[in-house]
Amino acid sequence: MSLDELIERFRRGDRAALSRLLTFAAQGDRTDKIRAALDTGGDSASSTPTTHHSPRTIAVTGSGGVGKSTLVGKLIELLRGRNEPVAVLACDPQSSLTGGALLGDRIRMPTRPDDSGVFIRSLATPSGHSGVAPHLDVMVRLLRAFGFRNVLIETVGAGQGDTAVRDVADIVAVLVQPETGDDLQWEKAGQLEIADVVVVHKADLPGADRVESQLRELLNLPGCRTVPVVRVSSSKSEGLVELWRAIESVPTG
Amino acid sequence: MACPQPLRIVLAKIGLDGHDRGIKVVARGLRDAGFHVIYAGLWQSPEAVLRAVADEDADWLGLSLLSGAHMTLVPRVIELLRKAGLADVGVLIGGIVPEEDIPKLTELGVARVFGPGTAINEIAQFLHERSGRKWE
Repeated sequence: MSLDELIERFRRGDRAALSRLLTFAAQGDRTDKIRAALDTGGDSASSTPTTHHSPRTIAVTGSGGVGKSTLVGKLIELLRGRNEPVAVLACDPQSSLTGGALLGDRIRMPTRPDDSGVFIRSLATPSGHSGVAPHLDVMVRLLRAFGFRNVLIETVGAGQGDTAVRDVADIVAVLVQPETGDDLQWEKAGQLEIADVVVVHKADLPGADRVESQLRELLNLPGCRTVPVVRVSSSKSEGLVELWRAIESVPTG
Repeated sequence: MACPQPLRIVLAKIGLDGHDRGIKVVARGLRDAGFHVIYAGLWQSPEAVLRAVADEDADWLGLSLLSGAHMTLVPRVIELLRKAGLADVGVLIGGIVPEEDIPKLTELGVARVFGPGTAINEIAQFLHERSGRKWE
């Protein structure tokens, strides 16, 4: 099948065509042509009247093991409960030695297999890309054009300085867990600088209060941009509604 | 045409079967052999597996069954793949499958059944040999 034919099928709402175009984008195969087609094709996401809010691309980032996939799984549940379509681009590391990758984010995002309002793509991410897969912008545009108004990007377990996701996302949520670093840790340049929302994840664990108060102190200094700090416990399903409200309240554009 | 890309394989266990040591070893081994392994995990339904294969645009699907339900569940997965236009996705089976069922499974369209004791290299080599890219 030619690329033109594939794009035609994509425009008619063929999910398999979307899936294949995402593969091309992920591989950097003919991305210029795909970009051009998206430029001229009219974006169905922006032309369809939206119900609640404008399309959003939300990055979920933080160190490995902080609970990014689990939280994304919970957000899928929340959004589907509101009948909001949601797509996920889940980045996991690719070995610089073998080129291989074990992509294990999907397993933490339980969805109903017959629910066409969810789309999850796992992406192997080479090192040196600051935590996100290459050509992610094209993939986000494809998903949005297909009608997924909410796109969640889960970065590779990211540390200080992995800030590239800022460029492809409207909103960046940085996850922090209890017992990570002293108060000076948060003063350093890097991830917290790009955060629109900071999530104290695993907020049911001891130490959550301390980390929350440290972050609040740091992020809400007089004269500085205020960044909401939200406590979330995915295991207890607490704080998710508050988190989504904070995300929706972030001014974009 | 882009340079050759790593093959993508979805690995899953279907049905009521909690024995995931083997599939995790295979997942790790194929990762080290340069594959992109999408690990879908335990207790999957045939429908969930189909969704994973479709949305991940996988080249291969590896199913592990140690429950004895392979003659019930595998045909359902293959039927679903066929109906979804994904008949070109190669299907591998691993786990405990009696000798006499292997021809029945390959008859259905399973590319290969790998039993206990299989070396990872053998699987990797098989996948590479059988995988012509399925699109231009």
